[in-house]
Amino acid sequence: MADMVSIPHSQPQQHQFNPYTENGGTILAIAGADFSVIAGDTRQSEGYSIQTRYAPKVFRLTDKAVLAVNGFAADGNMFVKKVRQRLEWYRHAHAKDMPIRAIARLIQTMLYSRRFFPYYVYNILGGIEEDGTGAVYSFDPVGSYEREACRAAGAAQSLVQPFLDNQIYFKNQTPAPGTSFPGHLSLSTVLSLVIDSFTSATERHIEVGDGLEMYIVLAKNSPSIQSLRDIRGMSELTATEDGERVFVVRRDLKKD
Amino acid sequence: MFLTRSEYDRGVNTFSPEGRLFQVEYAIEAIKLGSTTVGIKTPDGVILGVEKRVQSPLLEASSIEKIMEIDNHLGCAMSGLTADARTMIDHARVTAQNHAFTYDERIKVESVTQAVCDLALRFGESVHDEEAMMSRPFGVALLIAGIDEHGPQLFHTDPSGTFVRYEAKAIGSGSEAAQSELQDKWHKQMTLKEAQVLTLRVLKQVMEEKLDQHNVQLAQVTKDKGFEILDEARLQAVIEEM
Amino acid sequence: MSVYRSPGFDFSNSTRNNFLLNKGVPLPKATSTGTTIVGCVFKDGIVLGADTRATEGPIVADKNCEKIHFITEGIRCCGAGTAADTEFTTALISSNMELHALQSGRKPRVVTAMTMLKQTLFRYQGHIGAALVLGGVDPTGPQLFTIHPHGSTDKLPYVTMGSGSLAAMAVFESKWSANMERQEALDLVILAISAGIFNDLGSGSNVDACIITADGTEMLRNVDMPNQRVQKERDYKFRRGTTAWTKEDVRKFVVEETVTSTDEMDTS
Repeated sequence: MADMVSIPHSQPQQHQFNPYTENGGTILAIAGADFSVIAGDTRQSEGYSIQTRYAPKVFRLTDKAVLAVNGFAADGNMFVKKVRQRLEWYRHAHAKDMPIRAIARLIQTMLYSRRFFPYYVYNILGGIEEDGTGAVYSFDPVGSYEREACRAAGAAQSLVQPFLDNQIYFKNQTPAPGTSFPGHLSLSTVLSLVIDSFTSATERHIEVGDGLEMYIVLAKNSPSIQSLRDIRGMSELTATEDGERVFVVRRDLKKD
Repeated sequence: MFLTRSEYDRGVNTFSPEGRLFQVEYAIEAIKLGSTTVGIKTPDGVILGVEKRVQSPLLEASSIEKIMEIDNHLGCAMSGLTADARTMIDHARVTAQNHAFTYDERIKVESVTQAVCDLALRFGESVHDEEAMMSRPFGVALLIAGIDEHGPQLFHTDPSGTFVRYEAKAIGSGSEAAQSELQDKWHKQMTLKEAQVLTLRVLKQVMEEKLDQHNVQLAQVTKDKGFEILDEARLQAVIEEM
Repeated sequence: MSVYRSPGFDFSNSTRNNFLLNKGVPLPKATSTGTTIVGCVFKDGIVLGADTRATEGPIVADKNCEKIHFITEGIRCCGAGTAADTEFTTALISSNMELHALQSGRKPRVVTAMTMLKQTLFRYQGHIGAALVLGGVDPTGPQLFTIHPHGSTDKLPYVTMGSGSLAAMAVFESKWSANMERQEALDLVILAISAGIFNDLGSGSNVDACIITADGTEMLRNVDMPNQRVQKERDYKFRRGTTAWTKEDVRKFVVEETVTSTDEMDTS
């Protein structure tokens, strides 16, 4: 029984206020040739409790840029607010909407300015580049960023990202002899993959569920508009006449 | 004007009863004493030209610097108290670099001009009980040339912090004659070469000395090469074409 | 090494494990039945209920596990906490109850199971992470207990346990009444478990229930299934030959043998 004696706490114990919490949920974005899809579930939780079944994590910034935030919800909401403020200042100073490439760099500088008291948030920025191509930028909490074709972040990142690597980048798949995998997927394929990612993450991760919001950003005169015709639960959010168009699709996810 | 001096021409932030700020007006007068500076916009780029007053044969003409780079896509020519321009161009350079750092894009010509004019207006600022940052308005006018997503542009700024966009503009002592010459000779579809030649012709008309490669300076901002000051060989070539 | 081994758990590695823990090596995570479990007394007996989600941290380990364990024909036990502990402890007590019934020649009683469980759990000072709802009908009538991991017990007309216990108890507190009918009680238990399934992240999937009366026990596996998976948008079939290989080695498993006749054995 001598073995059972626990190690005494002889060292002084330090207690510290922890200003961060983790609010669950998952976000994801995929870039196509002339479109970008940015999605997130709408559950916000703390521990085993659901705080709300509808807390958006994906936000339209401009008609060509949509930002998804995940991690500590209070930081996320504040960060989006500050990005929007900076976008408005920019619009007033330079008489144009900020291009997505500039937004990406701005987010880096905003995150890094809090290097030693970071926003506890993973950001994914999706939209249309100045040259009309679909873009996804992903960030870590202190501002390291990269342009990619697809990215998942948040609670179920470890479940979704390998699926995306396999289905988008065709990792661990050999093409049939004499063929090759497509460079870009169609919008309808991408939307199906996004929906399946979230219904599957809902099955196996307790913090994912309740609702799904998918934002779709289309380049000027994108033919991909055709595949949106028969999508259930879609509405348009376009605000300007610049040519890019923003849509949102809302779906229910399991609530257990 | 110098005969009507009153108590209102001292303070930089006091209007006269007629609604004038004398110090600003005097600063604008100072520019008319400066050497002539010309800027011409073409569809391919913008040309800047300045007269260098080589007042003594012992003076090193190459040490007179009246055209400066702000960023790779932005250039600036000055007339008036050129020492004041140093402060303004430093500010413009910092603004341009800051924009590139924060937004990963080149600042617009109008935005950098606005930033310079914001600085030009700060002569009126002073915090209560503290030394004012600036004692007087800048005594210099600038021609800011550059290329951005709206194409080649030429802006003129003066000590009042006002800026205006021009197709072609002359400032400095010979500006009146030079400007009317520009009005006669400028046309929309000028080539870069034609603009270079016109710049020198205009300068030549208003200069007292004979124009040569030592007493003028030419610079241009083009889409391909950005800002560049023409070296003596290239300048000589343009002079020969006049 | 000594031939003698003390009975029960072996704690000889606990010093080493504590050392590793302080070095930053975490202990392996056990499957926990996040869980909502309930029990409720009605006119003729007991209704027990449980959800069917098993978790490992935030990951769903089993979407349809069974948390209502068999003790005897008329006694069942719902388990919350460490899955292995609830399964093992209830199975152990089930065996001992059978032996006890054989030895005494009487119908087993719920209090007996309750006492055996609490003594087992108390002996291990909370290290066996089992939180239980024990219910059944014996010759003394319907009985319902909760047993906490440290060995304390409660005897109440309606009980809940697990991470969803507050959600489920809220339902009982607002809707339970004495002397309910069988169907009424079952509906209430389903409602209480559903509250856990939808409001507690540790609970989910389906509702299991068990109705125990003097006449017999009815196990209602998946009595309600409110969380069926929706159809996937795409089917993920992979072409034959999708997986790359580095080397190919074909071996024949059919043994070919030839029978050769030799000279007859010399038996002389």
